Amino acid sequence: MAGMGATARSNVVRAPMGDTADVALAAAGDRQAFERLYRTHANRVFTLCARMSGSRSRGEELTQDVFVRTWEKLPQFRGESAFSTWLHRLAVNVVLNARKIEGKHASRTEQSDVEDERRDEMSRAPLLIERMDLADAISKLPEGARKVFVLHDIEGFKHEEIAEMMGITSGGSKAQLHRARLLLREALQR
Amino acid sequence: MTNSNMTCAAFDEALPDYLEGSLDGSLRSAVEGHLRECVRCTGLVRDLRAIEAEAAKLPDLVPSRDLWQGIETRIAAPVIPLATRPERSRRFAPTWMGIAAAALIVSTAGITYTLTARTFRGNVAPAPSKSVATSSQSRGDSSAPQVAVTETPSQASLPATSTTRNGSSSRSSVGTHSDATLRMVNDPGVTSEAVYSREIDMLQRIVTDRKTQLDSTTVAIIEKNLQIIDRAINQSKAALAHDPASRLLSDQLTHALDKKVELLRRAAMLPVNT
Repeated sequence: MAGMGATARSNVVRAPMGDTADVALAAAGDRQAFERLYRTHANRVFTLCARMSGSRSRGEELTQDVFVRTWEKLPQFRGESAFSTWLHRLAVNVVLNARKIEGKHASRTEQSDVEDERRDEMSRAPLLIERMDLADAISKLPEGARKVFVLHDIEGFKHEEIAEMMGITSGGSKAQLHRARLLLREALQR
Repeated sequence: MTNSNMTCAAFDEALPDYLEGSLDGSLRSAVEGHLRECVRCTGLVRDLRAIEAEAAKLPDLVPSRDLWQGIETRIAAPVIPLATRPERSRRFAPTWMGIAAAALIVSTAGITYTLTARTFRGNVAPAPSKSVATSSQSRGDSSAPQVAVTETPSQASLPATSTTRNGSSSRSSVGTHSDATLRMVNDPGVTSEAVYSREIDMLQRIVTDRKTQLDSTTVAIIEKNLQIIDRAINQSKAALAHDPASRLLSDQLTHALDKKVELLRRAAMLPVNT
């Protein structure tokens, strides 16, 4: 059986035509070229930031941080991967590091959500998933579960990659993903 | 529900790996056998697959405003023609340079004086609960001078730098803080931990005031490192409370305090917009 992650969008995004020239120009300090790169990739980066942080306003702040960081790091980009792939990974790191720096407590207590209430679910009808409801439910997941879910099920990262980026084990990533899916199911059944 | 091969609890345990497609043959067969018989578990798998499929199809979001202006402001560095580029020393804000240099001298001199004085005084009776004072005692005469020797070169080299770069106000500041430090370290009731604390507080205030002049990434890195050092300090203090005579622990605490002073010192001296 194929893994569930197979249907997630790939985080290896094909670079749009013209990226290469703009990347080279921006790396040399051309801000107009960098703005073009921003316009091309802003929504993808914002989507990642907003979903991982669980907040659109925070996602906007993080998106700015990502592109400022990109500007700083661009001279180090060697073109070993597509620019969009490199940018995507950089965005994930900015979001993860921002959380570590802020050191704030998660909006929801991690452990309190773990309790697995086993109910009689035999008579439940299949889930009717509205995208708005799903997006809302994702934003309300506990932080660790949300990040792993977004990275794996939406962004298409592998558990090994997530483990490396988040400083957890691959098994921990799998456990958080499963927990996230169960919590989403519970939320969507309400 | 239970069937002949697998319980629902066992199924739940195997479910993450089953969904990942990483179950081995026999266990996978058992799970699939259970799924053929159990409505509850079939519904669970169906729902989780639906969630995963729908999540992958979620459309990209769009920011509520154009974020480019904020980005452009942050990345816009002033372009200064090479011919008119000011000398390196002018990149530093003179006031901050003065304060930072003063803090540097005071912290170096204070700590060095404390450690040196303690070495030559011999066994000054420290309060048992003060870990650094205890550590100085437990180190013995052979190790304490090493610290003083290590600190001395920077102490000797700094006043000249500050005198040439700073105005009278900063020099006045140096004198004031040095006098206060000397009074403090000559007070037998004051431990070296108190000296560290005083210098750290002073440097911390300078760094806090300078945050708006520094790059946010730099500030974030400084804060992150300070948090790490603070954790090390707190852990050392907690461990010393249980084992006040431990030389290892007292050395660890001193090392962590030194690191904090050093980091704050460097942060206080960073050029504007670093």
